[in-house]
Amino acid sequence: MDDTIIAFVALLRRNGVRVSFAESMDTFRALDLVGLGSRAGVKDVLRATLVKRAVDHPTYDHLFDLYFSGVGEIVKDAESRAMEGLDLDPAEYQRLLEDLARFLEAQGIGTSELTRALLRQDTARLERLLREASQRAGVQRIERTFQEGQFAQGLQQTLGVAEVARELQGISDALGAGDPDPRRRQMGRLVDRRLQDLQEMIRRMVRGELEQHDVGQRDAARMQQLAEKSFYYLSEDEIRRMKDAVTKLAQRLKNALAVKRRSARKGAFDVKDTLRKNLQYGGVPFKIRFDRRKRVKPQIVVLCDVSDSVRNVSRFMLQFVYSLQDLYAKVRSFVFVSDVGEITKLFEENEIHQAIDQAIRGNVINVYAHSDFGRAFRMFHREHLAAITRHTTVIVLGDARNNYNLPHEWVLKEIKQRAKRLIWLNPENRMTWGFGDSEMDRYQPYCDVVEECRNLRQLYRVVDRMVVG
Amino acid sequence: MVAFAFMFASIEDVIGRFAAQHYICHRTIATVVYLASRLRKPILVEGPAGVGKTELAKVLAGALDHELIRLQCYEGLDESKALYEWEYAKQLLYTQILKDKIGEVIAGAPGLKEAVERVARQDDVFFSERFIVPRPLLRAITSPTPVVLLIDEIDKADTEFEAFLLEVLSDFQVSVPELGTIKAKHVPLVVLTSNNAREMSDALKRRCLHLYIDFPDKEQERAIILLKVPGVAERLAQEVVDAVQALRKLDLKKTPSISETLDWTRALTLLNVATLDAALVDDTLSTLLKYEGDIRKAQAELREHVAKARAKASAAPAVAADKDVLH
Ligand SMILES: Nc1ncnc2c1ncn2[C@@H]1O[C@H](COP(=O)(O)OP(=O)(O)OP(=O)(O)O)[C@@H](O)[C@H]1O
Ligand SMILES: [Mg+2]
Repeated sequence: MDDTIIAFVALLRRNGVRVSFAESMDTFRALDLVGLGSRAGVKDVLRATLVKRAVDHPTYDHLFDLYFSGVGEIVKDAESRAMEGLDLDPAEYQRLLEDLARFLEAQGIGTSELTRALLRQDTARLERLLREASQRAGVQRIERTFQEGQFAQGLQQTLGVAEVARELQGISDALGAGDPDPRRRQMGRLVDRRLQDLQEMIRRMVRGELEQHDVGQRDAARMQQLAEKSFYYLSEDEIRRMKDAVTKLAQRLKNALAVKRRSARKGAFDVKDTLRKNLQYGGVPFKIRFDRRKRVKPQIVVLCDVSDSVRNVSRFMLQFVYSLQDLYAKVRSFVFVSDVGEITKLFEENEIHQAIDQAIRGNVINVYAHSDFGRAFRMFHREHLAAITRHTTVIVLGDARNNYNLPHEWVLKEIKQRAKRLIWLNPENRMTWGFGDSEMDRYQPYCDVVEECRNLRQLYRVVDRMVVG
Repeated sequence: MVAFAFMFASIEDVIGRFAAQHYICHRTIATVVYLASRLRKPILVEGPAGVGKTELAKVLAGALDHELIRLQCYEGLDESKALYEWEYAKQLLYTQILKDKIGEVIAGAPGLKEAVERVARQDDVFFSERFIVPRPLLRAITSPTPVVLLIDEIDKADTEFEAFLLEVLSDFQVSVPELGTIKAKHVPLVVLTSNNAREMSDALKRRCLHLYIDFPDKEQERAIILLKVPGVAERLAQEVVDAVQALRKLDLKKTPSISETLDWTRALTLLNVATLDAALVDDTLSTLLKYEGDIRKAQAELREHVAKARAKASAAPAVAADKDVLH
């Protein structure tokens, strides 16, 4: 069993589940306690000791089922197919196997371990032989469908199928010699089909390994692709699938901000406060007070462009904004096209996809207007400037395509003066900024940070930099 | 060697003792609890809000007849709130006494050096356990009897606190600079819960057994209702479960949890309801759902469900009460 678990742990690792050595030791101790009696029990034990992230559960379930029932099931399937083929019920089948064993003994025909296991339907032994051979043949290295034939052949060789075939042929000949009675003929039919059964088991083993390989790989590759894909070309469904990644990103930003905040916490000796607090002790300065600058929670104001030119980008970005808002109490979110509207409450009160739908489908502001950044900024200035204090990080998400309207960059200037930081993320390729109706060049001087942010990977980088800077 | 007194005889034993504490316990949960008690490892319980994570720790303490010590985490929680604090006021009082006594202490000292040393010897009095206010972690470690230590909502604490906790959890001893090292008499059985506001560090996870509790299935949730809401009509319990489980399939901002299912059932039971109808649902839904948007969504969904249940009930009135009415 130990080897089996070690191999399974390796399989988990290959599929992106992080398992340490200490954890696999826990598994052994836990299995000693619980025993191997029930499959579900073993599955619980392995899960509790090896799989510590809930996101890995689907991968784990799938791999466990493939790995632990995989071979067993393959062997059992072969058995039921044999019974069906011979038209026998389990009891009759069992009797036939026993008769065959007696015949072989009487004839003094010795067999290899594998042949014996096949002819006695020794499921456990078959399972072990198949698994061991599969490991020795390195079947787990299979990566592509077209390699199935090649790996099946390797497995056949390692198992010694040619030898089995010869032995079975010999037995079949012995059974058919002379004038066989019906019972012997029945045994002969059984022997004849066992080779076929073995081949089928091998084929399915290889297929199983291929599937195991695929599970993790496929998901990872898909995510990779999505991370590189421009927001402009994402489908709604793809955006939804990135929800977890986006949530993690928001969390990362939050964690990092929390750390920075704490290290800046020990302030200078505070004379006034010390005296006040120690009045009760007759002025003996017992409790020394430090000027703990008030723990300022990071405040964020997000302004997100939801005009038609960036529709999918906004959908994605709003997903990020929603996660941020979920994590921090102090996020205020706004959308704009040529009007500006606050969506903080909408996000608080509605489920994510519904909230986003409402925000970009015109329930908050008219989204079919032509983009007018200047007008939207002025409106923000008039109605919401109070939202910005010196603790606020302002994030603008937009392409700065202003339809040749007045840019009113003075608003940004004022925002920058009031705020802690002003960050602009533009989903367009940097090369195109400032061309046509793009006012990016005009806005840029008033921002602390300006980044091209066209896909998830770039957003990651942006967050990383915010965390450091 | 530290004594270790938490023992369940088997997984079945866990299930049985938890049932006696009114906790419906899936075998998966019982397995992890059993392993934790045997392997002396903390359990990290994750899962959505209100699925019984906190309750699990309480019930565990009850089942083993141990004291439950709870450390509720929050942003900004630090060592002094979790481990111990010096009781300054009391110390100050003692300095006053010491001041009066100081003459006696240094009386007859040949020189300044000797006098200072004599005073220094009194430090022991000053920084002794007498002046320590123990917080949950220290209480758990110094408890003369075995305890269950619940570290609730660890995801709310900062990452530094998590690192500190990690040290405590790895050897169950703490060092107080003025007093030396204090080692646990009994290794506490630790339950950490997390709502996943953030991902816990790998280091912490490595030390723990992991348990993910999801929403219960229909059968379990019905059992929980029958257990926790005295006097509820069986038929109503079934209808409530069907309705709640249907709602959990919707995209809601806040999915109703077991506690909310219980609240709703209690409200309905107070109103003497035997079976759901549309008007009742509208009136009481606010006990189940917290957001306006969710309530609106749910009303539409439930109206349909109630209507279907009605249709079925009138089609087969004799068996309706025992059947899965809504589906
Ligand atoms: N398996 C169960 N058997 C009986 N009662 C349960 C069970 N699970 C949950 N409950 C009940 O559900 C309610 C909520 O449980 P609890 O407070 O432990 O949830 P929680 O997971 O800690 O939630 P949160 O994340 O909000 O802290 C409690 O009143 C508890 O009694
Ligand atoms: Mg709780």
